[in-house]
Amino acid sequence: MSYLIIGASSGLGRALAEKFAKEKKNLIIVSRDERDLTALKADIEIKYNVKVEKIPLDFSSFNEINQKLLKEKMFQNLSGILFPVGFMHEKDNFDISEEDLKKLTFTNYLSIVHTINYARKCLNKQKLSIVGFGSVSGLIGRNLNMNYAAAKRSLESFFESMSFDEKLKDMNIQFYTLGYLDTNLAFGKDLILPKGSTQKLAKIVYQNINVNLKKTFYPYFWNIIAVFLKLLPFLFLIKLYKILIK
Amino acid sequence: MELNNTEKKEICSFDKNIVRNILVAKPDKYKLLETISHRNREIINTGSSLSYSPLSFGEDIICLDFKKFNRILDFNKNEKTITVEAGITLIQFLNFTLKHNFWIPQLPGYPSITLGGAIATNAHGKSCSTHGTIRNSIKSILLFHKINGWMNLSEKENKEIFDLTIGGLGLTGTIVKITFNLTNIENTLFITKKKKIKSVEECNKVISNYNNSSYFYSWHKADNIKNFGEGIIFENIIDKKKIIDFKGFKDKNYKLKPFLFPVWNKLSIKLCNLLYLYLNRLSTEEKTESFLKVIFPFYSKESYFNFFGNNGFTESQLLISESKINDFMSEFKNIFKIHKPTITLFSLKKMSGEQSYLRFEDNKVCLTFDLIKNNSSNNFMNEIDNLCLKYQILPSIIKDSRIPKNIFDKTYRYANDFREKLNKFDKKRVYKSEVSKRLEL
Repeated sequence: MSYLIIGASSGLGRALAEKFAKEKKNLIIVSRDERDLTALKADIEIKYNVKVEKIPLDFSSFNEINQKLLKEKMFQNLSGILFPVGFMHEKDNFDISEEDLKKLTFTNYLSIVHTINYARKCLNKQKLSIVGFGSVSGLIGRNLNMNYAAAKRSLESFFESMSFDEKLKDMNIQFYTLGYLDTNLAFGKDLILPKGSTQKLAKIVYQNINVNLKKTFYPYFWNIIAVFLKLLPFLFLIKLYKILIK
Repeated sequence: MELNNTEKKEICSFDKNIVRNILVAKPDKYKLLETISHRNREIINTGSSLSYSPLSFGEDIICLDFKKFNRILDFNKNEKTITVEAGITLIQFLNFTLKHNFWIPQLPGYPSITLGGAIATNAHGKSCSTHGTIRNSIKSILLFHKINGWMNLSEKENKEIFDLTIGGLGLTGTIVKITFNLTNIENTLFITKKKKIKSVEECNKVISNYNNSSYFYSWHKADNIKNFGEGIIFENIIDKKKIIDFKGFKDKNYKLKPFLFPVWNKLSIKLCNLLYLYLNRLSTEEKTESFLKVIFPFYSKESYFNFFGNNGFTESQLLISESKINDFMSEFKNIFKIHKPTITLFSLKKMSGEQSYLRFEDNKVCLTFDLIKNNSSNNFMNEIDNLCLKYQILPSIIKDSRIPKNIFDKTYRYANDFREKLNKFDKKRVYKSEVSKRLEL
């Protein structure tokens, strides 16, 4: 049995791969650039003596997913699927190109849903853990990362819907809404709130991997912030945001 | 995602002599390394930023922090080789190799130094009289150059660039992967033997007669002209009797952060030296010591550097012919009497190798000393520069961030060779640092 990690080559994905390998779990790692996968595979196989299969593919393409990833036999031998995958764009606003909009929506939402739907069909008596990762940017719409935030909010909604699935007894559904982490995405950003550690999060995800239902924020302080943000009227938030920007 | 995020920060050389505001990028994917390199005009690679000289940064130069490239890519126990990414630190590397009773013996003195940095400076360890510099353990290198692309370097492939890269201060491009030939190590315990000596000259005589494979270096009192050079020779031998299982090192992240005010001064140094000398004289002449204590002597003793305060210090490392040491020391003491610098540390070891390009290596004696930075030490060091010319001494540009270009040009015989070949390889001279600018490399 193996764990499938989509977006394993850097940041949280790499931390998850390292943590699960350290715990002697075999892995199937997926990312776009084969060079990153080859390096990660070699490193964790040498250090932890586990089996790692690499699948280089563009997760924004259904064609590539269908051809290279969605294989029934492989999915029937999975203990879990983790989706620490994400795609952001420097100009994610109303002027985004059609191609980039598709890439954003597919990578952050549609391809994940497509993969989960396939996995659900392949369930073969095994208990399957499915772990999704959202973003606090999906809490309120802003003029930054507009489509990324929308896709992440959709993903959260999809994971909530899965909790009502009749097949829930065969699946563990977990969803982490993430604030800034110590990854390359947050590198160099002037942030008011502290960044979370990818290694700590990987440890938490591993500890919870067999929990049937889980939905939380990481870093944890976002649980409190999110409550406040949801309590405040949207128009007030817009005004507050404009004042802060000025 | 491939965002080209950069961080603005103030950085200073380890000796605190050069401070600059720089931009750092931290790639964590191969594609991102290429993208960042292509987007920026001038680049330099940075590992742990522990170079005494400003080798890993420069004004208006993007610094590529390579710490995320720290994976082990191949390990062949039978052929005794290992391939690693250049951002791996010594402690991460040793935690793997020592489990298999392997290492490379040419390790610089602090565990968080990266292997890429060790190669760019052609680092050496305490056993440099036997094992020479890290050059002797390198089988091949994978280099990325913004214009020349990906290149395999070894004795058989692109040899000229291979030679320029080892000890080339990161000016030939980004060292991405390295394959090392590993050496067996039977144990991670050492036996340390001590021998008292009266002077630097006596030490030179004693160590020139050592020809076994142990590691030896000396420590000398240099705080006063009276009894100048009185000290101890330490000899470390791998303990082959009391074999212990290697359980791994924990990276304790000791703080290398200068105190707000300097603690070192003539009086405090004198007291510490006396204490150190007498404690060593009183303790047993032979004892067992751990790997970390022997190989990384300043690990957990970071206070030594922190005590210099924000003002920093100057470290000088000189390669001198054995036959010239006595004459050099006589003049050294004369200028010491005139300028009265505060020397906080003085040490000797033997070195082996062949000097070429920018490499600090030769079959000579390596003399190291640290000074509190002030006017008297500056004047003193200017005189030492002249002695370098007089005695054909090679000063380390890696340790001494002050060496002027004219002294460098006269002491490094192959400096022009390096310049010409580097310019031929990289006509736009993409990879630059504060040091390369000062020395016009």
